[in-house]
Amino acid sequence: MSSPSAILKENIWTSNPIFMQVLGICSALAVTNLLANTMIMTLGVTFVTALSSFTVSLMKSLIPRKVRMIVQTLIIAFYVIIVDILLRAYLPDMSRALGPYVGLIITNCIIMGRAEAFAQSNPPLISAWDGATSGFGYMAVLLAIAFVRELLGFGTVFGFQVLPGSFEPWIIMVTPPSAFFLLGIIIWAGKTVMNREGAAA
Amino acid sequence: MNKQSLLYTVVFTFVVSFVFVLFLSFANETTRPLVELNRELARQRSILAAMGIPFSSPEEVQQQFSEVEQLTRDEITLFRRQIDGRTVVAKEFVGAGLWGPIEGVLAVTADLERTIGIEIVDQNETPGLGGRITEDWFKDQLRGQRIVDGAVRVGSPGDGDTDPDGGVMDAITGATRTSESMGVILRDELQRLADILNGGNV
Repeated sequence: MSSPSAILKENIWTSNPIFMQVLGICSALAVTNLLANTMIMTLGVTFVTALSSFTVSLMKSLIPRKVRMIVQTLIIAFYVIIVDILLRAYLPDMSRALGPYVGLIITNCIIMGRAEAFAQSNPPLISAWDGATSGFGYMAVLLAIAFVRELLGFGTVFGFQVLPGSFEPWIIMVTPPSAFFLLGIIIWAGKTVMNREGAAA
Repeated sequence: MNKQSLLYTVVFTFVVSFVFVLFLSFANETTRPLVELNRELARQRSILAAMGIPFSSPEEVQQQFSEVEQLTRDEITLFRRQIDGRTVVAKEFVGAGLWGPIEGVLAVTADLERTIGIEIVDQNETPGLGGRITEDWFKDQLRGQRIVDGAVRVGSPGDGDTDPDGGVMDAITGATRTSESMGVILRDELQRLADILNGGNV
């Protein structure tokens, strides 16, 4: 029904999970004060969305209707725990920094949304692509928020000092409320540009 | 086969759960030694950092830590090592912070004349305010700070105190409650250490 490039454009831009569908906001506020944490978190979400969509699509003809959503949740939880185990074993510091938010990927609406809306009615490979691109859309917005928050909150980018030592960090950028403001600005800007595109077309 | 029947639904759910959980248990078991090693390394790193022993690689952490003696007094584990001719004793602690427990390691000289250093292992203080207890400028105030009357006071913000002989460290602006908590933790821990160190031969 849709080509891979159309799916890419849709998931990153015209129906971006964060600023168009406004899904997955909880983690957008919680893990975006440092770029490195955001990067790992969004990679985790991308990995889980892609593979759970793939698996749901692969198993869709076998899943009884009554337990459809339970099985989807089981599949999602499975991949999230895999991510959690990998982080604990190979990136212990990151695992500590992200804390409970890795486990909470299970409740990220984007993943369940893609499984229900796309993987349930499409073949496995294109479903995995749809999941991955949704993850990229999430990643793009979160990294943009994290960039501003880390720059103004700590004066650094990916841990490297870029602002002079005399720069006074903005404490609000370190705390979650700043993500509300930034997210609001991103939604506003995104929709404005999109409306202009729509008017031109 | 009727895929909507009750029997199929129950069997399918059971089999799917079983297979997925089996795989997860396997993954968990295979990485368990690694996870435990990471946890132990993190603990050793904090203790060395509190004692002011430099290290860079994980191997160096283990090598340096092998020179630290562990002893148990009154069911409390202490870490002891000779550094520059002084006996340094470190103890792990947990105290009440503003939002949750503050866990860390405090190191002192065995004669309780000076603190050697502190390392914060875990805390839930307000990011950017109380959370700054993990920053070097705060912790470094306890490098060689004299213990006066059995305590190091956390002074209220003002002129500041850079004199390591004063027995006073600066609080964090905007984090009054966390600073107070740190003062209480330091007082209690130094008291505990004094009880142990004066009671037995350490």
